[in-house]
Amino acid sequence: MIKHLFKLVWNRKRSNLLLMLEIFFSFIVLVAVMTLAAYYQDNYGRPLGFVYENVWNIGIDMNTATDDVWSAEMVSTTRQLFLALQDFPEIESACGALSTPYGLGSRQSVNEFKGRRVEMEVNEVTDTFLQTLNLQLLAGRWFDQTDDASNWKPVVINQRLSRELFGHDDPIGRPFEPWSSQEEEVRVIGVISDFRRDGEFVGPGNYLFERKRLDDPRNRPPANLLIKVRPGASAAFEERLAARLEAVAREWSFEIQPLTHKREVAMKLRLVPVILLGLIAAFLMIMVGLGLVGILWQNVTQRTKEIGLRRAKGATAAAIHKQILGETLVLTSLGVVLGVILVVQFPLLDLISTVSVKVYAQGVLLALLVLYGLTLAASLYPSWLATKVRPAQALHYE
Amino acid sequence: MLKNYLKIAIKVLLRRKFFTFISLFGVSFTLVVLMVASALLDHAFGPLPPEVRTDRTLGIYTVRMELTNSFERTGAAPYWFLDRYVRTLATPARVSLYSTQRSVAAYVADEKHSLFLKRTDGEFWNILDFEFLEGGPFTAADEREANFVAVINRATAELFFKGQPAVGKTIAVDGQRFRVVGVVPNIPIFRVTSFADVWVPLSTAKSNGYLRDATGDFLALLLARTPGDLPKIKEELQTALARVEFPNAREYSRIITAAETLFESVARGMFGRDRDARNYAGYLLGLLLALAVLFMLLPAINLINLNVSRILERASEIGVRKAFGASSWTLVGQFVVENVLLTLIGGAFGFVAALFLLNALTDSGLIQYAHFQMNYRIFLYGLTAALFFGLFSGVYPAWKMSRLHPVDALRGQSL
Repeated sequence: MIKHLFKLVWNRKRSNLLLMLEIFFSFIVLVAVMTLAAYYQDNYGRPLGFVYENVWNIGIDMNTATDDVWSAEMVSTTRQLFLALQDFPEIESACGALSTPYGLGSRQSVNEFKGRRVEMEVNEVTDTFLQTLNLQLLAGRWFDQTDDASNWKPVVINQRLSRELFGHDDPIGRPFEPWSSQEEEVRVIGVISDFRRDGEFVGPGNYLFERKRLDDPRNRPPANLLIKVRPGASAAFEERLAARLEAVAREWSFEIQPLTHKREVAMKLRLVPVILLGLIAAFLMIMVGLGLVGILWQNVTQRTKEIGLRRAKGATAAAIHKQILGETLVLTSLGVVLGVILVVQFPLLDLISTVSVKVYAQGVLLALLVLYGLTLAASLYPSWLATKVRPAQALHYE
Repeated sequence: MLKNYLKIAIKVLLRRKFFTFISLFGVSFTLVVLMVASALLDHAFGPLPPEVRTDRTLGIYTVRMELTNSFERTGAAPYWFLDRYVRTLATPARVSLYSTQRSVAAYVADEKHSLFLKRTDGEFWNILDFEFLEGGPFTAADEREANFVAVINRATAELFFKGQPAVGKTIAVDGQRFRVVGVVPNIPIFRVTSFADVWVPLSTAKSNGYLRDATGDFLALLLARTPGDLPKIKEELQTALARVEFPNAREYSRIITAAETLFESVARGMFGRDRDARNYAGYLLGLLLALAVLFMLLPAINLINLNVSRILERASEIGVRKAFGASSWTLVGQFVVENVLLTLIGGAFGFVAALFLLNALTDSGLIQYAHFQMNYRIFLYGLTAALFFGLFSGVYPAWKMSRLHPVDALRGQSL
């Protein structure tokens, strides 16, 4: 039966070639869109690693020249800012950070580790960062005042980075090897769970925290403050806060934004292009489906004679149905096989790195499902038409 | 003869309405996407007020500063560089320096609003053609004397003064108070050169640190006397770059930038990663065209398929015409005309749909202050795409059909 179907498709290879080509391109488009959807879906289900509710971000523009003379003054102003924040009963805790959740800027670092390249995002944060954002500490400890006296540099890493660097070994207290070439020794003091700074839709990455001290004149003060406010803090409070900050640091500018707002903006920025792409792909598929209906319909009317002959020789309506659907399936499969051959090359040649093979496979499977559904649905009406062919009429046809 | 072809085409289109519908649907959908995409691009790069003199203006959008083999920074330019090496260029008629727009807070009746603030000099208002709904721009003297004056857009005027006249009144933004001197229409956020909610003089910055800062976030706008001067300006800037002296040569010792249009700047960032001053606009244009063609591929194959089936139906007609001596070329011509007519009708539907979609996009407020319009440039892009589409999908089936043997055709054989 299947061999017979292949033969039928092969006999009309010229016109079927174009159909196959169309199915092939549809498949490629579907794989791209479905992989993206699977990737977002996969990321959305993972833990975020921090709590953004009731946390506000205060971006600081220091408006100051980056000459050597800045440090002492800037450091003391920053400390005064923190003192000012303590006067507000609405603020539960406050911390400073180089980059903040849902923010745009970040510091990336690539290091050589046992011949492998290890990428990570580096953030410099103050001691209260853990409690302000509710990070999950899995092992070891977070930064505290005891680190002031140590003659090595403490870092906290996330679980993913720990696995990548130390496997299943306990990382606490170990020298941080990728950076050992630096003059100062670096040691891991703690491990946190995931920390996905860029939000729900971005895949998990490696993360490393350095300690930022507010009294260290060698360090540039943090460009962002994060405050955890008690629920129900109002715009009036925000205005008082802004006025107070501006009074402390007259030459600086501040931008206060709840993280919920930053989150909304960041999500929109990522979702809008995906929704647009999805819509365009959906329309393309509708078009392909309708086109397919038209072509198959045409095929059926053209083959009235052949179908009529089969009916005359005793084929049932179901058999005709089967034949038309079967031919469509064979045709789709031929186009899909070409597509799969191409699509499998991407992970094999390591051309995709952000999406895991599992998610990619999910995307491909989804694409297959949608494509077969589409072609089958498109052939239902023409195949029903074919069953309506009456042998006597068909044999007269010409 | 063309008239005859058109008559036949209409008859054929009406005979098989389902096929006609599918073809029109495909063509118009494809053109809608292409037209909306080109409207978006036009909105960002085309000559729209207040940036109407695009044929004579260049900008300095990104500079890359390097210290050999270690630090590098890519972004807007520091003030000292633009002030000393760009403002002093001889070829441009006018040079304006301005800052990137920064989001600042304004509190109106206990409610917080985020506004975009841009600091500019007096020349800014001479190079760009802002339409003033009220008052006028601030001047070079205002900038020199650090007067706290501001030009605001219509939305900001509405926010602070609720429809009352704004000029002469005061607004408080970012902890500073400014007297409003002019109101301009809202500028869409895509137009990075002119966009802001509030424009104030450079010299009113909270600290004059920007004058000494080794880095910074400033841009320059250069107006040439004639369009022919643009290459000269580009060249003069490159010569000037060679003699740049850094205030702090331990931090950075080399600067790479170019005087360019915004489109060229985007292209240079994408393809050259700002590492050299070459013009990459051709690459970006090529990429956009390639994307458009790639996008049209699937609908085009679909249309080819439909056309092949459709022509099969007319095998006997072809046979008769061939038997009476019509050449293959005549037939190809006829079928291509039919297909182009079909795509043009589809194009007209697409054009109307694109109009609706752009209006809806404008009304949705998805992109701040965006006002998408159909204009003759977008219409021309759409028309070109439609013609290309029609020819591309019409030629193959027509050629295939024209090779049909008259005897087979008359008997209604398949291809």
